Amino acid sequence: MNLKTRRIAELDRVIHEPGRLMIVALLSAVEQADFLYLQHETEMNKGTLSSHLSRLEEAGYVEVVKTYRGKIPQTLLSLTAEGRQAFQQYRRRMKEAL
Amino acid sequence: MQEHDEVTKINQIESLMKRPVLYNNIDGVGELGMGFMLLGFALLSWLQANSPRNAIWHRMDVFVVWVGLMLLGIHYGSKAIKEYITYPRTGFVAYRKLKSTRLSALVLGCATAVMGIAFAARSHWDIDGSHWGMTTPAALIGLVFVLFYMFHIARAVPWKWAVAAAMAICSVVIAMLPAGVVGEVGGSTSAVATLPERNSGAWLLFITIYGTIFLISGGISFVLYMRRTQPAAETAE
Repeated sequence: MNLKTRRIAELDRVIHEPGRLMIVALLSAVEQADFLYLQHETEMNKGTLSSHLSRLEEAGYVEVVKTYRGKIPQTLLSLTAEGRQAFQQYRRRMKEAL
Repeated sequence: MQEHDEVTKINQIESLMKRPVLYNNIDGVGELGMGFMLLGFALLSWLQANSPRNAIWHRMDVFVVWVGLMLLGIHYGSKAIKEYITYPRTGFVAYRKLKSTRLSALVLGCATAVMGIAFAARSHWDIDGSHWGMTTPAALIGLVFVLFYMFHIARAVPWKWAVAAAMAICSVVIAMLPAGVVGEVGGSTSAVATLPERNSGAWLLFITIYGTIFLISGGISFVLYMRRTQPAAETAE
């Protein structure tokens, strides 16, 4: 196995999945965003998006807060410090692998 | 082949990370706010330019109240549009305070300060050169505006490049207008008591044209946004 292939193999699998990568990249640029915004930007359906968010939450990369905006339920999402660090490391490793 | 895929992935990540910043003006509210602010200043400047020197429009307290009301209106107006129209349709985003945002604010602040100093210096020492003296700074500030517009807004929406071009052309045209024409716009009494008419004329032209362009562009964005989006159904997430 050459160095490049090994570097790619070492990438964080939780983040490397395309759907989750989109979510993490979007959240990395903001303080907080809601479920609707992510759905609008990623064009995923609710089920797929929820499933990716659950996986990221399990890994400790995303914090999910259920709240209300007036009378409307709102799900607020943000990257945790661990999530930010993991994403930065992922980007660095991707660049190194090229 | 794999390397190509990874390069594409890196580019996609970088582009995704810019999307939330560009989302800020998805509904045109940023431009509408800017347009209302500039036209508000233009209206006050016009009232000052076309009223006797002892009219209330020349008083500092009136200026402060005017600006305060304008800023409050724009702040709460934008907030209301975001709260009742944008967030229910395409989602809510809270932005991080990044270094680049602070830098942009700093550069814009410096550019405005340079303009202010140029006006003040000219009026203080009563420098009476050609009309290029004041219209050129106005045009330069205009071009700084264009750069910010291109960087923060036009990148997201292709047709906004035409708006940026229109603003750039207007800046150059204002700089090239004859002194007499600019002076006539300035009216009988200067917007700032000590400024010659042509200076307030350049200022008035600049903010009126830019305000109108921002308002039209923001209005078009808002209408397009309303047509393309619908409020989300209230179901479980």
